[in-house]
Amino acid sequence: MTCAKEMRKDLDDLGIDIGILFPDFFLFHAALQQADYAIALAKAYNRWLVEEWLGEDNGLKGAVMAPHHDPVVAAAEIRKYAKHEHVKAIYLPTAMVDPFYGHRRYDPVYEAAQETNLPVFFHSVTCIHPTFPFNMHGFSTLFSAHVMAHPFSCIANLLSMLETGVPVRFPNLRVAFTEAGIGWVPWLMMRIDKEYNERRRDLPFYKGRPSEHIKKMFFSTQPIEEPANLRDLAALISLFDGENSVIFSSDWPHHDFDHPSKVLQIPVSEEGRRKILGTNALRLLNLEVAKR
Amino acid sequence: MKKEIMVATVAELPEGSHKIVQVGSREIGIFNVRGELYAIPNVCFHQNGPLCKGAVSGTVRADEQTSWKLEWVQEGEIVVCPWHSLEFNVTTGECIAYPGRRLPTYSLRVEDGQIFFPADK
Repeated sequence: MTCAKEMRKDLDDLGIDIGILFPDFFLFHAALQQADYAIALAKAYNRWLVEEWLGEDNGLKGAVMAPHHDPVVAAAEIRKYAKHEHVKAIYLPTAMVDPFYGHRRYDPVYEAAQETNLPVFFHSVTCIHPTFPFNMHGFSTLFSAHVMAHPFSCIANLLSMLETGVPVRFPNLRVAFTEAGIGWVPWLMMRIDKEYNERRRDLPFYKGRPSEHIKKMFFSTQPIEEPANLRDLAALISLFDGENSVIFSSDWPHHDFDHPSKVLQIPVSEEGRRKILGTNALRLLNLEVAKR
Repeated sequence: MKKEIMVATVAELPEGSHKIVQVGSREIGIFNVRGELYAIPNVCFHQNGPLCKGAVSGTVRADEQTSWKLEWVQEGEIVVCPWHSLEFNVTTGECIAYPGRRLPTYSLRVEDGQIFFPADK
């Protein structure tokens, strides 16, 4: 996998028309302690992304890297690239990030996202690091670390955003959580609603169940859960109105990618299938395609 | 209640205090908020906790008007259920966590230093 042409061909083989590109090794971007270096790399990535990958109108779309080490710089990068016709999202490195993304230091990033109407994609990765939930030295297998890292990282950052009222302070902000599967979403909704009863004063931003705000967020499928009975997955999706918020993701070309056929097998309605395989993402990314 | 009944005396409820009284088979919380009397059931709609045994103070608010900063407001109007801390405005019965969901409120009548709970309530 070395170039846009190869990627385009691979996606054709997978039956994928439109793909959002994420920066592979820079999923570890937050591990970089030297902010100037981290920011320089992010800026270089963004230049390279538009020059080498987004030159054609071929369905490859970019997620601009927002170097969270300096949220003001991150906001400037977002505004700089938002005008590019194939930049359709913002990528925030979500593994090892400290503080979590609810911290008010990140407000400039959300302001820029709102202003440019680009959705923010939170994307984690598996690693061992002192920052929760990556302090997984107690495990002896990648099996366990991989189970934990992605969903718990999304959960931690989503909770942190709820803590500071991000969904109400930035009412037009659109967010997506990626590479964490979807099984955790209804659990988190029920859990936070329970806690809200007793600890509303901790987060006095909401007027009713905080889970209502999670229903407005987007969740990408990969690595899609594969229960023995796929009807369980359809039931799980219905628990959080997922037919309107789940978006297919492949994670191609990573080892744990999902083929679209796996998601096609989930017995949701035909309309739900169209949404999950396509129109939810089109809506999230502000893309228009010919009807078919 | 076919007719109103005397439930407490004004002397028992100085400003800022509250007490629970028996009305038939029910328990009612009576609150003196800045000289006005208010009454709500001693039952939280969450898990039927003894709401009016809770402490009365204010609550925390954060919205556009406070520039999303946490502010302490409504001091003296909010009772917190001792079971799971759900908060209610004793003057309106409204639940702070779920605006629009409220407990019934009762109008009390005061005569000659005595507090009466209304009939047919």
